[in-house]
Amino acid sequence: MTSTAAEAERIDGNPVLEGLMKYAPLPGIADEMVAPDGTVRPVWQPLLSALRRMDEAELASRFARADRYLRDAGVFYRAYGKDAGGERAWPLSHIPVLIDQSEWETLSRGLVQRAELLEMIAADIYGPARLVSEGLLPASLIGTNSEYLRPLVGLTPAGGHFLHFCSFEVGRGPDGNWWVLSDRTEAPSGAGFALENRVATARAFSDVYAEAHVHRLAGFFGAFRDALLAGRQFEDDRIAVLSPGPANETYFEHAYIARYLGFTLLEGEDLTVVRGRVMVRTVAGLKPVSVLWRRLDASFADPLELNHQSQLGTPGIVEALRAGSVRIVNALGTGILETRALLAFMPTICRHLTGEDLLLPSIATWWCGQKLEREQVAANIEKMVIGPAFSTRPFFDDNGRSVLGSALRENAKLSITDWLDSDGSGLVGQEAVTLSTTPAYVDGKLVPRPMSLRVFAARTGDGWQIMPGGFARISSGNDVSAITMQDGGSAADVWIVSDKPVDRTTLLPADENFTRNMPGSLPSRAADNLFWLGRYIERAEGALRILRAWHGRFAEYADPDQPLLRDVTDYLKELDIDTAEPVPSSLVINIDSAVFSASNIRDRFSPDGWLALADLAKTARRFHSSVQPGDDATRAMTVLLRKLAGFAGLVHENMYRFTGWRFLSIGRYLERGLHMTRLLRHLAGEDAPDGALDMLLEIGDSVMTHRRRYNVATARLTVTDLLALDPLNPRSVLYQLNEIKTEIEQLPFAYSNGQMSPFYREAMRLHAGLAVMTPEGMTPEAYRRFEGELEKLSDILGQTYLS
Amino acid sequence: MLYDINLRIEYDYEVAVSGGRHMVRILPRSIPGRQRLIAGAIDIVPQPVERNGLVDFFENSATSILFRNAHDRLEVDMQARVQVDIREDLPDFSPRPGELSREIAAYWSLDPASPHHFTGHSPRLPHCPVIAEYARSIARDGMTVQEIGNAICERIHADFTYDAEATSVETTPIEAFRLKRGVCQDFTHVMIVALRSLGIPAGYVSGFLRTIPPAGKERLEGADAMHAWVRLWCGRVTGWIELDPTNNIPAGSDHIVVGYGRDYADVAPVIGIVKSYGQQTTSQAVDVIPVTPQG
Repeated sequence: MTSTAAEAERIDGNPVLEGLMKYAPLPGIADEMVAPDGTVRPVWQPLLSALRRMDEAELASRFARADRYLRDAGVFYRAYGKDAGGERAWPLSHIPVLIDQSEWETLSRGLVQRAELLEMIAADIYGPARLVSEGLLPASLIGTNSEYLRPLVGLTPAGGHFLHFCSFEVGRGPDGNWWVLSDRTEAPSGAGFALENRVATARAFSDVYAEAHVHRLAGFFGAFRDALLAGRQFEDDRIAVLSPGPANETYFEHAYIARYLGFTLLEGEDLTVVRGRVMVRTVAGLKPVSVLWRRLDASFADPLELNHQSQLGTPGIVEALRAGSVRIVNALGTGILETRALLAFMPTICRHLTGEDLLLPSIATWWCGQKLEREQVAANIEKMVIGPAFSTRPFFDDNGRSVLGSALRENAKLSITDWLDSDGSGLVGQEAVTLSTTPAYVDGKLVPRPMSLRVFAARTGDGWQIMPGGFARISSGNDVSAITMQDGGSAADVWIVSDKPVDRTTLLPADENFTRNMPGSLPSRAADNLFWLGRYIERAEGALRILRAWHGRFAEYADPDQPLLRDVTDYLKELDIDTAEPVPSSLVINIDSAVFSASNIRDRFSPDGWLALADLAKTARRFHSSVQPGDDATRAMTVLLRKLAGFAGLVHENMYRFTGWRFLSIGRYLERGLHMTRLLRHLAGEDAPDGALDMLLEIGDSVMTHRRRYNVATARLTVTDLLALDPLNPRSVLYQLNEIKTEIEQLPFAYSNGQMSPFYREAMRLHAGLAVMTPEGMTPEAYRRFEGELEKLSDILGQTYLS
Repeated sequence: MLYDINLRIEYDYEVAVSGGRHMVRILPRSIPGRQRLIAGAIDIVPQPVERNGLVDFFENSATSILFRNAHDRLEVDMQARVQVDIREDLPDFSPRPGELSREIAAYWSLDPASPHHFTGHSPRLPHCPVIAEYARSIARDGMTVQEIGNAICERIHADFTYDAEATSVETTPIEAFRLKRGVCQDFTHVMIVALRSLGIPAGYVSGFLRTIPPAGKERLEGADAMHAWVRLWCGRVTGWIELDPTNNIPAGSDHIVVGYGRDYADVAPVIGIVKSYGQQTTSQAVDVIPVTPQG
């Protein structure tokens, strides 16, 4: 179904594409779909013909399919500024950018050369600094650069390479040629989002995608994963993605990449350095890590030797680098290669170091620290963008710190020379390029929108590989300055189209020989978050059950001072729950705490589980402001309980039964045990008000069981028997201890030197102590003692595994 | 001059810390043509589980130590014998600032003594327009770099009051400037910011002062703890000179250098990362005693 060039349709002057598909490139600007002669580029033909056959309704349903995928997969980005902290829906521009393979190969050759050049520059800056002593690079660009990390000077990275993964921001100029707009070497982001854009876009255009020869992305990631695996010192060493944590703009991607490649997601706090080796704190003790793919800015990596203010790093990381025991991808300090002013020196440095010219030009850049260059910029100010020399971002994405020369007001222009003279070494002039446009679907039609492309390069066993695809950023207006997501820009998939069938690699292992890898030891921080997630979830359930029973009776008596209601209100007050609020704020906070714990370990959850939990929190907040006491509140609690059970069910059905699961479970059992112990002490006492025992059975979800098992009306001893001592009732205290004991047996350190660990012994003792009790012996004092011992068990667990 | 130096730093933690990693920079260094470390040793109690010596970027000697056991007290003792031979009262060969900037641009090296490390902002010392204005009001047209350095040193000494209670180790130069009070660290930071604002490369020197002055001279301010002063680059010919704004004197044979850096963060005597929940108190005691060579 591919069209030949002979069938190519003309767009300008002869508008064949009517209505929906009427598309007119902007004059004087290159376009990705339409060639300068007005013909549709051949690689676009199949997609375009498919689009022409679709009506608006079909397009809408296809786009909705892509959006649904992104929502279900939990893809989001974090907005900064006014609504800081908010998670925003991922803004996908559904029309992919299509690029012909032969053109892509030319671009790739240029980027491979560039990656190799950047590696040489890094090795020189952190090594002999000959580029400076030979006058090819001004010393002040390095000496006053905050990305120049002096403790790393003179260190050769383990394995010999500084760079392993880079990205390049490229754009196509009006002449149709590609330009490099900026280099990203510090902690390049976007590759994971590119994968998600691909999956979503392929959902929308599954038919076109299947037919077109679009290069797959998995092979690129597989090759990079293999290269990282080969970089380990010992086969049992771990590879980790080092993240600054959930507050980061691209945390979703850190978790996604870690899950996709099968690496552990860690934060600085998870690591410690012992005898020059980087170790991760796990529930089974310290385990070595020898490769770290860092998404954390280098200066934050070590508060001892780099930025002393950093709360995100690991003291001693630089010491481990000196010992040569860890490979950090990319090496700390390589952020200096992103310096905008460096672009001005790349052509000469390239010729000097390689004897070749740059295959792919950088955007023309002049550093104003030099007299001739400064004069050049001043003389051509109308065609320039002036921006900070040490910025590490491209001019259209640096929070407005770069200004168009032509936009400076007439009277201001008089002082431009002064400005450049006084502040020259801090400024660069760059040619104000107009980037090419690509079709975006806006308000029912295709319109040309400026685009820049992020392309990824990975060092593999066979040298640098360029990802056959990329992350396109599409402006929300006609101006390239609106290209960032924070400014309303969107992202699009990039299809590299071959004229032959392509290799369909996936990252799934081949059938014939697979190994069943057991998950590595669980990091202590992850275990801590899982344990507390379990406790918060169960605490919320306990509170919901009590509140539902309370409002059910309130609907009947309509008197909060009725003795039983008064009594339970007082009880809840001890737990910081106020019955005057139908859906109390402390309950909402409790559920938010569960979400927070879960957000710290997002790589361990299925997107379904995460969405269920987020939905529970959203509903609780909504109810908090809208629900009325009595019947309405009872119904609200039932809805929340059902949503909570939905989350618990997803976890129960889907979570792998390994160490992480055990900590989550222990958290739940422990909290449920505490909840029931407290409740029994209060409501099963001899002085409890009328109706307390029935309410207790209702909260303990055991009304039916009680009726079946004891042929008598509710009595203190039967209720105590069922809710405290019955080993078969999943709500009883004894049941919780039984389960905790079973989980502990499977944990590391359950035994040491053939003896039970203090934690295991304590759990056994508690279990045995309760198992031999009779209902008569369950006095308020016994419950109180028991409650204290359960709290103590939680403390011992923390000391044994979580610190 | 030959000196015996004793330094004792003590930390008391209100709540025992569970471990920690520290970087210690307290041992005087050898500097050709200025001073020579004859012998030196550092003792640490409790005994660290790991201890490594290293030479940092600016060629200061540093010791990294690791504790893995709980402790509520840390003692660091340093003893050293140092020979100081500094040439004082050299004639002024320094250029004027305009020429200095050409000399800086022509300095094609990033060696540890390169002025390029000391021109911009540094971790503790961002640009500060108010101090820059102050510096401009002191520097007169036609002054050489060395004259500007001396003038700023004199003015800070005159305008600021030495006051150990007014500031802390975390005080920023702008806060100290507003207070016009502080200790050697504050005087030094303000002077560095002032010099850099005029395009003069300037850095931080940590070290010791002779405790008891020679007969007939006044006791120097800052001798009872580790001291700090300024060094500035005066062009190719003169190179670096050192000025002590706390005492308004050039650093001479009474000044013993421990470390060179861009600001306090590069040469802090002890940088520590401990897990701690309580307060800590620190004390420092210094003795710098001239040794009379025996017969």
